[in-house]
Amino acid sequence: MTSADFNILLPEIVLAVFAMAALMFAVYTGKDRTAPAILWATAAIFLVLALFIGINGDGAQAAFGGLFVDDAFSRFAKILILVSAAAVLVMSHDYMAKRDLLRFEYPLLVALAAVGMMVMVSAGDLLVLYMGLELQSLSLYVVASLRRDSAKSTEAGLKYFVLGALSSGLLLYGASLTYGYAGTTEFAGIIGAATAEDLPLGLLFGLVFLVSGLAFKVSAVPFHMWTPDVYEGAPTPITAFFATAPKVAAMALFARLVHDAFGGITAEWGQIVAFLSVASMFLGAVAAIGQRDIKRLMAYSSINHMGFALMGLAAGTAFGVQAMLVYMAIYVTMNVGTFAFILSMSRDGRVVTDIRALNQYSKREPLKALAVLVLMFSLAGVPPLVGFFGKFYVLRAAVDADMAWLAVAGVIASVIALFYYLRIVYYMYFGEETEALDSGMAPTQWALLMVAAAVMVLGVVNLFGIEGPAAAAASALVD
Amino acid sequence: MTEGGGFLPIIAMLPFLGALLPGLMIRAGRNVCAVTTAMPTILALVMLAILAPSVFSGEVIEAEIAWLPALGLKASFFLDGLGLLFAGMILGVGLLITLYARFYLAGEDPMGVFYTYLLLFQGAMLGIVISDNILLLLIFWELTSLSSFLLIGYWKHLPEGRQGARMALAVTGGGGLAMIGGMLILGNIAGSYELTEILAETEAIQASDWYLPALILILLGTFTKSAQFPFHFWLPHAMAAPTPVSAYLHSATMVKAGVFLMARLWPVLAGTDAWFYIVATTGLVTMVIGALIALFKDDLKALLAFSTVSHLGLLTMLLGFGTPVAAGVAVFHIINHLTFKASLFMCAGIVDHEAHTRDIKRLGGLASLMPVTFAISTVAALSMAGIPLFNGFLSKELMLEEAAHTTWAGNPQIVGIVATIGALLSVAYSFRFVAHVFLGPVRDDYPHKPHDPPFGMYAAPALLAVLVVLIGVFPAATVEPLVNLTAGAVTGQEMHMHLKLWHGVTPALFMSVIAVVGGAILLGLHRPLDRLWIAMPRPEAKVIFDWIVRQAATVSGRIAEGTHNGAISRYLAIFTAATVVLGYLAWAGGGMAPATREMLPIPPVVGVGWVMLLGATLAVVVMHRNRFRALVLIGIIGLMISAGFVYMSAPDLALTQISVETVTIILLLLALHFMPKETPRESGPALRLRDAVIALGAGGGVAMLTYAFLRRDFSTISDFHLENSYSGGGGTNVVNVILVDFRGYDTFGEIIVLGIAGLTIYALMEALLAGPASRRLRNWDFSRDRSRDRHPLMMVVATRVMMPIAAVVGLYIFLRGHNQPGGGFVAGLVISIALLMQYMASGFAWTQGRQRIEYHSMIGSGVVIAGLTGVGAWFAGQPFLTSAFGYVHLPPIEEFELATAALFDLGVFLAVLGAVMLTLYSLSRIARYAGETVNIGPMDYDPSQPPEEMAREEAERREEEG
Repeated sequence: MTSADFNILLPEIVLAVFAMAALMFAVYTGKDRTAPAILWATAAIFLVLALFIGINGDGAQAAFGGLFVDDAFSRFAKILILVSAAAVLVMSHDYMAKRDLLRFEYPLLVALAAVGMMVMVSAGDLLVLYMGLELQSLSLYVVASLRRDSAKSTEAGLKYFVLGALSSGLLLYGASLTYGYAGTTEFAGIIGAATAEDLPLGLLFGLVFLVSGLAFKVSAVPFHMWTPDVYEGAPTPITAFFATAPKVAAMALFARLVHDAFGGITAEWGQIVAFLSVASMFLGAVAAIGQRDIKRLMAYSSINHMGFALMGLAAGTAFGVQAMLVYMAIYVTMNVGTFAFILSMSRDGRVVTDIRALNQYSKREPLKALAVLVLMFSLAGVPPLVGFFGKFYVLRAAVDADMAWLAVAGVIASVIALFYYLRIVYYMYFGEETEALDSGMAPTQWALLMVAAAVMVLGVVNLFGIEGPAAAAASALVD
Repeated sequence: MTEGGGFLPIIAMLPFLGALLPGLMIRAGRNVCAVTTAMPTILALVMLAILAPSVFSGEVIEAEIAWLPALGLKASFFLDGLGLLFAGMILGVGLLITLYARFYLAGEDPMGVFYTYLLLFQGAMLGIVISDNILLLLIFWELTSLSSFLLIGYWKHLPEGRQGARMALAVTGGGGLAMIGGMLILGNIAGSYELTEILAETEAIQASDWYLPALILILLGTFTKSAQFPFHFWLPHAMAAPTPVSAYLHSATMVKAGVFLMARLWPVLAGTDAWFYIVATTGLVTMVIGALIALFKDDLKALLAFSTVSHLGLLTMLLGFGTPVAAGVAVFHIINHLTFKASLFMCAGIVDHEAHTRDIKRLGGLASLMPVTFAISTVAALSMAGIPLFNGFLSKELMLEEAAHTTWAGNPQIVGIVATIGALLSVAYSFRFVAHVFLGPVRDDYPHKPHDPPFGMYAAPALLAVLVVLIGVFPAATVEPLVNLTAGAVTGQEMHMHLKLWHGVTPALFMSVIAVVGGAILLGLHRPLDRLWIAMPRPEAKVIFDWIVRQAATVSGRIAEGTHNGAISRYLAIFTAATVVLGYLAWAGGGMAPATREMLPIPPVVGVGWVMLLGATLAVVVMHRNRFRALVLIGIIGLMISAGFVYMSAPDLALTQISVETVTIILLLLALHFMPKETPRESGPALRLRDAVIALGAGGGVAMLTYAFLRRDFSTISDFHLENSYSGGGGTNVVNVILVDFRGYDTFGEIIVLGIAGLTIYALMEALLAGPASRRLRNWDFSRDRSRDRHPLMMVVATRVMMPIAAVVGLYIFLRGHNQPGGGFVAGLVISIALLMQYMASGFAWTQGRQRIEYHSMIGSGVVIAGLTGVGAWFAGQPFLTSAFGYVHLPPIEEFELATAALFDLGVFLAVLGAVMLTLYSLSRIARYAGETVNIGPMDYDPSQPPEEMAREEAERREEEG
């Protein structure tokens, strides 16, 4: 344990110390009155840390004897996590304040979850993986039921907790089997034991249970059941958070585990991941058709998108990981924009989530409607919007890895999914006349909506140069 | 980049850049706006004209700009004959439409927006036809869907417009997405995403296993775009759009994109049986069905729409034949169809504009009122019918010739016959367009008095009509070079087609004659046939589409409801079942080495233990509704596990297990007191059966897994600990050394968690008792199940006697911990049990009064002591929590060992004790709220007290209770 180790962990330490110090500060001073200040400070720290990681990071270093890895991959994921978490915090301020939900614990729990996520993506050891995962999960369990006076919110949080505990148990079971048969919990050691020629059954089971546990975190079918309920029950900013940063973290962790620890048996986990991918894409596409609640719809949408991201992972190649990272970056941007809009949906100050409330929206708010149209088409993966490039990346990865059937399944699923995104657009542009939504929108929400939509259009030029870092990140993980 | 290639990206970009202009220029007036819209188009046309000579000389002009290389995406363009033809068509008709729309759009329509959309669309179409990279092509492809969505939805106030826009986008957009998959596979087989390179890989592609999936996916895209059966339904519904849009999108350009792509990929995809049977058949069916429906449509634009469907079918069929000549004919017909159909659409628009209706039943006799429109329409319609001297005749006859020579599934006649029927129907509706709109008596009930429009409005269709005649009379002089050039580009070989009016007496001529005569007769019979048609049940596409949408929503709702109904029991069931299935797959898929260990014989003691364990487990399942009983049974399970540890020579684990078991069961019993005694019955037998199956599957799976693992050799980590426990940690009790030394960090974490748990229970209880729960507790009547002898003499005395013994045992266990079974954790639990017994015997308040230490600080000091011990190691230059030990020799006693681990153990001891006692304290607070009385004496009947005092106490208590 040297200072060099701590230097590598500096961003995590700073964030953790900040969260605890701010917690103490708020408890002993103004409590919820300090919430706005803490919220802005947290968002600012997120951005500063993202910048720091982006500028400072270089090469690959391991801390604590390989328990914690800092490489291009983890930096890519961390920046994505921090920036999206900051965006969600910033846009949630108005919503939370209006509905008397702005508690000082909220930004701090998000900060602690972010610490957990950062540890997750840097994990070089099963136990570090678990620590990060649980720190993130415990924070998420609490924020999911932040609205304590709402039965729906608390129920969602409780369900999430029970299922989450089960999945953690499964993951731990997998971890201990892996440990038992590999003799170590370090990824670097496991990869030596997990070879295709002589794979002990215990390791295979360890892999299967680890993957199942992680599938829960990325809400991949059939471990996705919590997603619609939690998305619907939690306050919308929390839903937005759930849909962005934790998904990136879990997906990155997934990639790290399967490549760093089980990179020698790509074929074994490739099949499982491909199955999860197909199931998620289809269930996400089909089950969303009948949804009227936009939050529930976004839940299924995110299940569908996770299926696509998993497709990149299933390829088992460096290009696949790159595709997954690009996909996640695009996915997060689209979701930030979409949720910025959903946050503003209200009528007479009351939250509205029925998509039929959007009828004829384009007439009253042409610019915002256009932005949402762009986001919806991008979510559906319609060229030339950036969402298409994400989809194309993963499809290409699958085809290149001789998994053309997976790509074909993905294409069919995206055709089905197109339908429900289109319906939102249809309501906005051609729906029956209904009572108007409130026209006001917090400036931060407006800005994020517009920025996200603009990114979807302007990104076609060069995807804002994200390919290079994504490729570097992928090559840090897969040789 | 070849010479002149620099123009290509500019041509592709011009309309997009130009799209910004109309919105800006609309303030300057409608004419200026129209002119600025025309400018980029004219400019692009000029550039195209500059490039045309080189293309005609057989050159292929290419241009390439790097874009996203990792994806295989390049902004690369190429222009050959096919591209030139389509680009010319798109720009030329675009120019005419710009002109026409200037006069067509009413004053209140936002013209700038319209022109912007139009240019966007034009740019997308241009992009499709000159893209070299198929990904780029895909992008432009979907861009046409999007911009056409905007154009079709332009007249928002019409409900049909909305429906139409949605249907058009759902169908074409979906087809486009499917095509992405096809293109991806195609590119993967060919090893390149450049069309020019893919076209050279015919053999590789057709031999590939993935040829058919790629073909189907690509055809899904082209068929939906070109409105081929069974996707034809969207096109007529899109006709609610303004007429300039219909003319441009739905006759000249967008719907041809599908045909274009089939022609573009013709060299690599055509020629196989799959191609022939899918494409030619679809085309044939579409041709006939489209023509049939067109005949009975009363809406002028619907008639033209279905006629377009029919002609697109014709083109598809020709391409489907797979012969170079047929492909050449297709190219020729594309040109012809463009001229007459765009002209007819604009005429229909003029009629609509002037007469304010396009219902054929309300029209007729317009010939004298609108002579110019009548003349243009007649020329175009006759061409559509395939009458000699008009260009439609030439290509239709060539088509019939090709059809006559085509064998379908061994039948040489069928294609020819069906094609003739199609042509016949086509003649009928073409004649109807003229006869029922323009001929006949002048009516006096037009919604608006019609007259010819201004020149600007009929200039465009008139120009096209002139072309119709020119091509029709002098095909060789006008379009033959272009047709040959284009056909050459399509087929990839030199083409020498000779277009002429008279081919001699051929089968096609007979077929043509039959078609014309039959068509005329059919029109004569139109009235009775129309009645029959209306009376006949026929599938209405829109109804079917809506039905599918509704069904999809219902099915999806059912799926969502079935799996996400909000019941956590269902979620858990799915979760567990999925895990079991995954586990089974791993089991079945993984190789399993043969068992290396023999089964040991089962000694009777173990057998008995097993039976008890199983029996208790089953009993819990059966009786779990009665919570007390279930708790007792769980206690049995715990004890059996402890016994197992004893049997396996792990006294340390057994000791820990037993004390943990005791403490938790007692605390649970106390907590259960305030809860319902029965669990409600919520599931029916079927559900319970399902749960039983899943549970047995999961439990059995884990058991089998364990069994399999245990029968095979594996290396354990026990040896390491056994070897290092004394040398590294200074203790012979390996478990304790692990706890306080090797895994000291874990233990430190655990006591913190335990402490937090105690504090959390306390905090939760505080919050709970301040809320509605306290009201419920106060109203709860506990007096019924309260014993008169809750603090019995025997128990009080026994626990008092036991207390010092237990304390000594605790101390003993604590001290010997490092070398013998025991340790701070167990010691803490033992003392806790002793104290718990005091509380149970004499009641909480009495005991509390005699307790000096505060539990919160006990937990805190425990954690602090443990932490400081760990920090102490830093001063010795060691990592956190490194244990140090030494031997001390005090003269009266023997030499004994002192390890820092003992200090750490003290912290553990305090934290455990504090956490347990705090939990007890929290529980007792509930009891107080629930009306539990406070006893002053240690026991209910104290023989050492005089009886009257006892009676007084008794009375006091009654009073309190009452």
